[in-house]
Amino acid sequence: MSRRLDTLTELLGPAVIVILVGALATTASASNEVYFLNALVFVAIVVAIYVFVGISGVLSFGQISFVAVGAFAAGVMTVPVDSKKGVLTSVFPLLRDHSVGNVPSLLLAAGLGGVFAFVVGLPLMRLSGLAAGIATFAVLEITHNVLREWTKIGPGATTLALVPETTGALQATLGALVAIVVAFLYQRSRRGRLLRASREDPAVARSVGVNIHLERLLAFTLSGALAGFAGALYVHLLGSITTEQVYLELTFLTLAMLVVGGLTSLWGAVIGALGVSGLDSFLSRAEQSHVHVVLTFTLWQGTRLVFLAAIMALVLILRPSGLTGGRELRLRWSLRRGRG
Amino acid sequence: MGDPAPASGIEGRPEDILRASAVSRSFEGVQALQDVTLELHSREVVGLVGPNGAGKSTLVNVLTGFDLPTSGTVELRGREITGWSAHRRARSGLTRTFQHSRSLRALSVRENVEVAALGVGVGAREARRRAQELLGRLGLTELADVRAGSLAQGDERRLGVARALVTEPAFVLMDEPAAGLPEAEVPEFAEVVRSVRDDHRAGVLLIDHNMALVMGVCDRIHVLDQGRTLAAGTPEEIRGDLNVAAAYLGETAVATDA
Repeated sequence: MSRRLDTLTELLGPAVIVILVGALATTASASNEVYFLNALVFVAIVVAIYVFVGISGVLSFGQISFVAVGAFAAGVMTVPVDSKKGVLTSVFPLLRDHSVGNVPSLLLAAGLGGVFAFVVGLPLMRLSGLAAGIATFAVLEITHNVLREWTKIGPGATTLALVPETTGALQATLGALVAIVVAFLYQRSRRGRLLRASREDPAVARSVGVNIHLERLLAFTLSGALAGFAGALYVHLLGSITTEQVYLELTFLTLAMLVVGGLTSLWGAVIGALGVSGLDSFLSRAEQSHVHVVLTFTLWQGTRLVFLAAIMALVLILRPSGLTGGRELRLRWSLRRGRG
Repeated sequence: MGDPAPASGIEGRPEDILRASAVSRSFEGVQALQDVTLELHSREVVGLVGPNGAGKSTLVNVLTGFDLPTSGTVELRGREITGWSAHRRARSGLTRTFQHSRSLRALSVRENVEVAALGVGVGAREARRRAQELLGRLGLTELADVRAGSLAQGDERRLGVARALVTEPAFVLMDEPAAGLPEAEVPEFAEVVRSVRDDHRAGVLLIDHNMALVMGVCDRIHVLDQGRTLAAGTPEEIRGDLNVAAAYLGETAVATDA
């Protein structure tokens, strides 16, 4: 009975907190709302990364590639056709002459992210540890440069503007919930359990029939699809985007969120995304203008990232498994009585 | 005694045999295994003994797909499986346990066993049923919800056996399962090994330095020294073999604290 309750808590904990943040967004002033929406989109991105990095234990610096692909695919395909002739002059005619609606653009982004991750994962998922980290970083670099230079598929180095801003409180909340539910279902599934086993000890997992390469590839693909989807949410939140916004800083920020929250649990991914993005928003405002917290102060440019990086390092030193200890949310009494 | 002896008293149908034929493995010029031939039948326990560095673990790795032989072949139930991956062998009924305590440490004892069943393709419900039953049989029911990483040595070894058995293997290769086990728990573990043979009808290849355990539970014993087969036979035959005494029994004094 308590085992069933644990299952329920594992899903409902993250879901309820996301819904709360979504509800807060609707009560916030117009200038503050964007911080809540930002946090919810970050939940989707970090959960997408968690599906691969958290469950497999293989480090990837490349998941933001799939966010970038999703963001630009959804962005380019939703700029109204009339506006495209002005701002996306050199793209392929197919892209120039067609646009799709909001929901199709989210699905398209998810599909492209998944396909791209699968293709990249085929050779890469044979690697692990340091080699995997470096090779996935190479994927980020390649993706970034292709998106920045190839003006047949997008705006190149210029800003992609005029993207419909459809990610309001409802879409941000639902989007984060979709990511959470998919991640939950996956980690509870046979495949998710096998991948987690391989994370704990690859040799033991192989000795009981786990095909580690296959399981990692599937998770990488699912993670890529979720990341693409989250990228679409992101571009529909921002309304305009450059390739720099889905590159190194976002990679660092989202990995910091995952590490701070706790790499190995969905709960950790959600808590880390909400906590760190809240802090990030506060600091970036403090960089731009006066903030009143007991004293009135303004921060120097760059303080934000210095501070966030220091926090990530501190968490790694003091609490290596993150704020949640890398565990799923459990109700206290069920913990004491044990599962089952 | 120099040649590997045939199986004692057990008629081998090919579907009941795991066989390494003339297997060699060298690592950068060092010959870890040289021309070793070994047969393991269902429902027997074969001891694999020899001093450290004799090639015992290498042989287990080659048999289970964690390493590939430089030459020679491995056959499982009449099919050649020399190049098969470890996970494919596990799904075909050949699994192993590991030297030292190795578990899926952050997972519960129950999940360790259930996930092993899932690994070989068993459905979730059936995996749960099998795990429940095996945990009971191995005396781990009380510990089902404990993290595997916090188990005591003896419990951890039995968990390793449970994880192997839940896959319903035809052959289980155990790499030093009793190492580090308190002496008082060895007889109990010997019972577990016998039960794998008698109740689960699996063939067991048992590497261990504990001669009391090996002599007590094994139907046959295969002695390796410097990568070669030094002797093979029943425990009585091996006990009387002078070569073995020289190569191995001198080692046991060293091995007891290993």
